[in-house]
Amino acid sequence: MTLTKLVVRNITRRRGRFVFTLLGITIGIASFVTFLSMGGNLKKEIFRETAALGAHLLVIPKGSCGFEQLSILTGDQMPTNITAAEFAAISAIKGLTAVPFLAQKSAMNNKPIAVNGIQPEETLKFKGWQIDKGEYFTAPDGSGAVVGAAAAKQFELKPGSVVSVRGEELTIKGILKETGGRDDFTMFLSMPVAQRLFKSIDRVSYISIKVDDLKLSDSYAEKIKEVAGLGVVSDKQMLKSVLGIVGSVNITLQMIAAVSVLAAAFGIINTMMTATYERKREIGILQALGATQRTIFSIFVLESAFYGIIGGVIGVVSGLLISTLAAPYISENAFTTLVKGSGNTSSIDPVMIFGSILFSAVVAIVAGLYPAWRAARLSPVEAISYE
Amino acid sequence: MSNMIIKVENATKIYNGGAVATAALRGVSLEIPRGSFTCIVGPSGHGKSTLMHLIGGLDRPTEGAVHLDEIEISQLDNCALAKLRGQKIGFVFQFFNLLQGLTAFENVEIAMMLAGIPESEQKARATAMLDLVNLGEKADAKPNQLSGGQQQRVAIARALANDPDILLMDEPTGNLDSAAEAEVLDILFALHKRGKTIVIVTHNNDIAARAEQIIRVRDGQILVS
Repeated sequence: MTLTKLVVRNITRRRGRFVFTLLGITIGIASFVTFLSMGGNLKKEIFRETAALGAHLLVIPKGSCGFEQLSILTGDQMPTNITAAEFAAISAIKGLTAVPFLAQKSAMNNKPIAVNGIQPEETLKFKGWQIDKGEYFTAPDGSGAVVGAAAAKQFELKPGSVVSVRGEELTIKGILKETGGRDDFTMFLSMPVAQRLFKSIDRVSYISIKVDDLKLSDSYAEKIKEVAGLGVVSDKQMLKSVLGIVGSVNITLQMIAAVSVLAAAFGIINTMMTATYERKREIGILQALGATQRTIFSIFVLESAFYGIIGGVIGVVSGLLISTLAAPYISENAFTTLVKGSGNTSSIDPVMIFGSILFSAVVAIVAGLYPAWRAARLSPVEAISYE
Repeated sequence: MSNMIIKVENATKIYNGGAVATAALRGVSLEIPRGSFTCIVGPSGHGKSTLMHLIGGLDRPTEGAVHLDEIEISQLDNCALAKLRGQKIGFVFQFFNLLQGLTAFENVEIAMMLAGIPESEQKARATAMLDLVNLGEKADAKPNQLSGGQQQRVAIARALANDPDILLMDEPTGNLDSAAEAEVLDILFALHKRGKTIVIVTHNNDIAARAEQIIRVRDGQILVS
């Protein structure tokens, strides 16, 4: 017999109570891990998407906030407030390459798809795309559409397939090689076609800029503001601003999950307090057999810790499963779309896993301290005489 | 080494329950020789169990001293007292007090676990102790699968597990039928023959009649020692 064996016997003796107490901490940790895992994936995706944009600066309508910047990353629909004249003025600045985008959305088989109007040749060069199947646009106002690899797979498109966008039938010309970014999920139209279909003649949503000399980014941003009177953000600023938005959402969700872990801790306290009352005589027997106060204290704290460790392990596994399985079902919106994006959502972070189990164990141990102290300070005579 | 394994000097125990203080023992002094078979007898509520708790180190006197093997146990701290209980005293109670979730074998092992004996040694000694009380074949039985007499024999095996100097028993046959009582008493007398000091708190005149020493407690005092 060892202390651990005794503890396992004690907690599994009343199976119903064991299971329900365990469920409390398991659910708490599972929700904690789910939010943590999704938050982690979201962050990774934001970094990935920002890198995939390939832009040093982004020109957006004046007065835009973080939400518009997030929309660029998520491929969400954006207003088309930048005029052709403003784009021309920016393009005229020496030492930079400007590429405009018209960011819209359409639906295929009742599922949303991002549709971008682009300047074919410039964008191909800017993004460094490669064609996987079929061909690319041959003229700046080329008809038809080119789709990203993931969109082609999702909607079973191949060169020659015909799709309907805004009531107009378009032929798929080609499919891009996988980029690892949001472009994989996007359908691209030549700018004139997109502007016509989405009724935004001579207007675009945002402009991506590459500068020849990165050190001069700030001065280019000032120049752009001067000539066009538009908002300019660097990729780093955008990253900071978007991470700020999702970070606060993440923290809120994790706080809610942490509260549920805290509620589970009270479940453990309740179970352990009940155990100290029910097993008062048993405590007395152990004391008569030579158990010190420290041993009694250890038995109860260990029992509590077991709830935390077992609940933590099951909670972490469930949380990871939920975050992986539920991701595709999360509705598309600016905050959650990235989770189901192009990234690998089942990434396993050992720090998060062990951290969560440790968190669960620590919460359970802390929850067990008071009941254990109560049990340890029982007088042997009082305990053994308990009916 | 003194021949007296237990020595109680002018021990008084007062319980402060609520507003009224109750004296359970009043200036009790006694000596119990090493290897003796002693019975503590007296009416219910007159202080027998309190005296047993003091001798067994489960409680401390309000005044006076209790010596166990020349150690003044009433002066020991809680930890030292607990260790001393585990090493020197084997308790047997009227209601057996076995741990219900454990088997007979594990109930015997647990006393050794608390004394820090390694698991392999625990197994060997638990087997030997259960054989000693003729319950080797019931090692895997839970307490609720055993008769009263069998449970009390497991309790004796557990009390003997750490080879204590004293077996301290509170009405060990109080809850047994005649056959079971005879079995338990046979074991106790056999243990006494081997040199164990046995102290029994009892109402049973038959047991008291066979004791070498009888301590009569009445109104918290000793009548004849």
